[in-house]
Amino acid sequence: MAALGPSDTINAGENVFIKMPSDNVKCIVLKPGSTISLGKFGEFKADDIIGHAWGNTYEIYDKHKTRVYHSEEMNEIEETANNNREIVDDPSSQKLTLDDIKALKSEGLKGELTGEEIVNRLKDSHATFDKKTAYSQAKYLQKKGKKFLKIFTPIKPTAYSVNEYFYIKNPAKIRDIRMDTLSQVLSYSNVHSGAKLLVVDDTQGMIVAALAERMGGKGTILGLYDGDNARYDVVKYMNFSKEIQDTIKTLSWLRIHRPADEKTPDEMQDVTQLTGMDLEGYHRRLKAYNIVEESRKALFEADFDALIVASQYQPESILEKLLPYVRGSRPVIVYHSSKEALLETSTYMRKRPDLLAPQLTESWLRKSQVLPGRTHPEMSTWGTGGSLLTATKVIDQPVQAALTKKERLAMEKRNTEAKKLKRAREEAADSAASSPALADDAATVDAGATVTTTTTTTTTTTSSSATIISEETVDAERASKRVKQE
Amino acid sequence: MSDTMVEKQSFARYKTNNTIEEGDLVVTYLNRETMGMIRVRKGEYFNCKFGSYKHADMIGLEYGTKLGSNTGRGFLYLLHPTPELWTLVLPHRTQILYIADISFVMNFLNLKPGMSMIESGTGSGSFSHSIARTLAPTGHLYTFEYHQERVNAAKKEFEEHGLSDMVTLQCRDVCKDGFDMENKVDAIFLDLPAPWEAVASAKKAFKHNKIGKICTFSPCIEQISRTVTALSEQGFVDIQMFECLIRFNEIRVIPMWTIEEAMEKQRAVEKKRKRDKPQAASKKNGKRQERRTQEDTEEESSKDKVAKLESLVDDSNDSSAAATPMSTSGSEAEPSSATSTPVVAPEATMPSATTATTTTTAEAEPRERIDPKNVVVTRLPAEQRGHTSYLMFATFTPAFQQPSLREKKAAEAQS
Repeated sequence: MAALGPSDTINAGENVFIKMPSDNVKCIVLKPGSTISLGKFGEFKADDIIGHAWGNTYEIYDKHKTRVYHSEEMNEIEETANNNREIVDDPSSQKLTLDDIKALKSEGLKGELTGEEIVNRLKDSHATFDKKTAYSQAKYLQKKGKKFLKIFTPIKPTAYSVNEYFYIKNPAKIRDIRMDTLSQVLSYSNVHSGAKLLVVDDTQGMIVAALAERMGGKGTILGLYDGDNARYDVVKYMNFSKEIQDTIKTLSWLRIHRPADEKTPDEMQDVTQLTGMDLEGYHRRLKAYNIVEESRKALFEADFDALIVASQYQPESILEKLLPYVRGSRPVIVYHSSKEALLETSTYMRKRPDLLAPQLTESWLRKSQVLPGRTHPEMSTWGTGGSLLTATKVIDQPVQAALTKKERLAMEKRNTEAKKLKRAREEAADSAASSPALADDAATVDAGATVTTTTTTTTTTTSSSATIISEETVDAERASKRVKQE
Repeated sequence: MSDTMVEKQSFARYKTNNTIEEGDLVVTYLNRETMGMIRVRKGEYFNCKFGSYKHADMIGLEYGTKLGSNTGRGFLYLLHPTPELWTLVLPHRTQILYIADISFVMNFLNLKPGMSMIESGTGSGSFSHSIARTLAPTGHLYTFEYHQERVNAAKKEFEEHGLSDMVTLQCRDVCKDGFDMENKVDAIFLDLPAPWEAVASAKKAFKHNKIGKICTFSPCIEQISRTVTALSEQGFVDIQMFECLIRFNEIRVIPMWTIEEAMEKQRAVEKKRKRDKPQAASKKNGKRQERRTQEDTEEESSKDKVAKLESLVDDSNDSSAAATPMSTSGSEAEPSSATSTPVVAPEATMPSATTATTTTTAEAEPRERIDPKNVVVTRLPAEQRGHTSYLMFATFTPAFQQPSLREKKAAEAQS
């Protein structure tokens, strides 16, 4: 037998999705010793499934005992001569009264009747059941089964199942990202074990969760967030091991650069003088400080293997700041629930000389009912699953030896302007003592975009640099456009 | 391969230094339609219609660099190979899977590092590369192909792409001979003409005591019918079927003038025409007028309609546009209200470099050129992929159970 690892079995204290006969899914935390109620489908003891491998369906019998349930194999339906000519819409064809059915239900809950027995009673007391077509009979039994069978299936949280759960239950929470679109994010991003990814994820961590699963505990995901905390609620549902959890690092947009007035724990207090509670407080602060420092370091290494943006904020403004931290020949992906929100971003990307071949895609997904002889697309289907804008980061530094004359001239012009700008900044830096973090960040962006592709963590500071940069970018765009026209 | 080589290039990861070195693979990107893959060797050249590129020039460059050709007429981008790029450049030996299906199947099968999986058939190896990347570094892909030449070609590719230590490739007809594997894998993908013939053997290959997922990939619904019966007979559950397509949008920026702007331009044209050739224009129009009178009344009524529409437009835009009703009949009559009403269209008051400034009258000169509002629009190409294959999934349930927590407790209590 293959050895079972902790992720192969249903474990105590973990999140489990319980699929019920109605196809509704319920999310529970499996506490040892607890009883889990599934409403009209009965209840079961958590201990009965803790320790089991995933993958089985259980039947509730004798009130709340469980046993593995084997569904009958699906049979080809044999055509009969029946048709619906004789069938009229008549509520009296069911001979059982509402009270009879209620009585059957309560017997079922007490464990005196199985779900199948109830369905059979209903069938037997249906006056025109035999007149129904074979297809209609099968459909009737399936429909009643969904109401009265007392079975449930524990489903393991995976990127797919968690996404499916939230997409059906509360799509707004995950910004409508559907499993197919999510799967394409995973492919386009080329996520793999050991990758280092830069992510802005406002899908409550749906994307971060899927990426982390694919990295299997090796590599780094750096998530930038606004507000007090990174809101990665979905990640909590994944039952990640500590190893995988640790690959997810976060950094607040406001902490990218150390605020001028922020002191290190050592600057605040002399550790040698601390005792008791104060010392504990110091260690707590030091730990928090080190986490932020580590995330900053990860960012400023500027060697990310992908940039993935699924933000509520304007994507261009995010790309502008984060593209310099991405390596050459690496994917850049922007997700949004509506295509229109990406149109401006798309024209922006097309103008950027360091982005290659932006592509705006939507995914289309259709599910079908598959039963022998009864296969057809489902009657209701999904609307949008969101849109993706993908491109490849390239190095906007055409190799000198092979430059065209125009490119060379444009580049020389850019270099002299960059020098001028640097001088202006140095002068301005003397006069302006402190500056907001955002402008600070923009300066770093500029360094990455125009000087070299090597790591730049210089933080020159002028509040005006942001506007100057945009002019410069426009210039660079023009240069590259000219080249493209040739 | 020399022993001094510290890092073997692989499609399963990026090179740590991200730098092109002797012997490395590079995806050459000229444009979306013109991509290829080369192995960089000093002394060799990459030639295309835009010129010639020295391999030696590429060595030492970072992946993602834009390299100009010797002629200075073109350039190419040097990209790091990935499974996704490989799908776009690989030599087709069979029909291949593209990103929409690849992505969806990998997500549904819950592929991740450390898993083991069966794929059959290998085909051109498009999907194999994505699977290997996703299972790496600790997982394993067993891939089967019954066509000997395809096996040889794929074997060579897996070796060259640094994947051979995690891919086992076998030449085998799995429909006839089965997989000959037992209790080995977590997931199975069948892209075969008759997948139902391989289902029983596939079942054996799953790790017996764990959940497993199988996917069959078939273009025809008849294949699905037969496979679903086979899967059901073998006890697979939760059978689901999907189709997945990616729609690639074309993005355009289109100019959009308002009708007032269009009218203004027309006025400018007419004014200019009148100014340039007042005699010729009247003569020509006169002739046209004559001919028109001979035509039936239908023409007249349509003209009336146009005039009505125009007035509608004019009314809707308060009084300003009404100042100069435009005539489409080509009459040379002076726009009557132009002199009588000194109201000026709002856009004409805007300072514009393109505004014609031949006279310095107080009246606004209609502009011949007006910068339009640009609107970004998307469009789906007229022709696009409508179907690839049906993706059918099913779940393998564990054959026996570990004792549950309650059973364990009971056993402990006994002892």
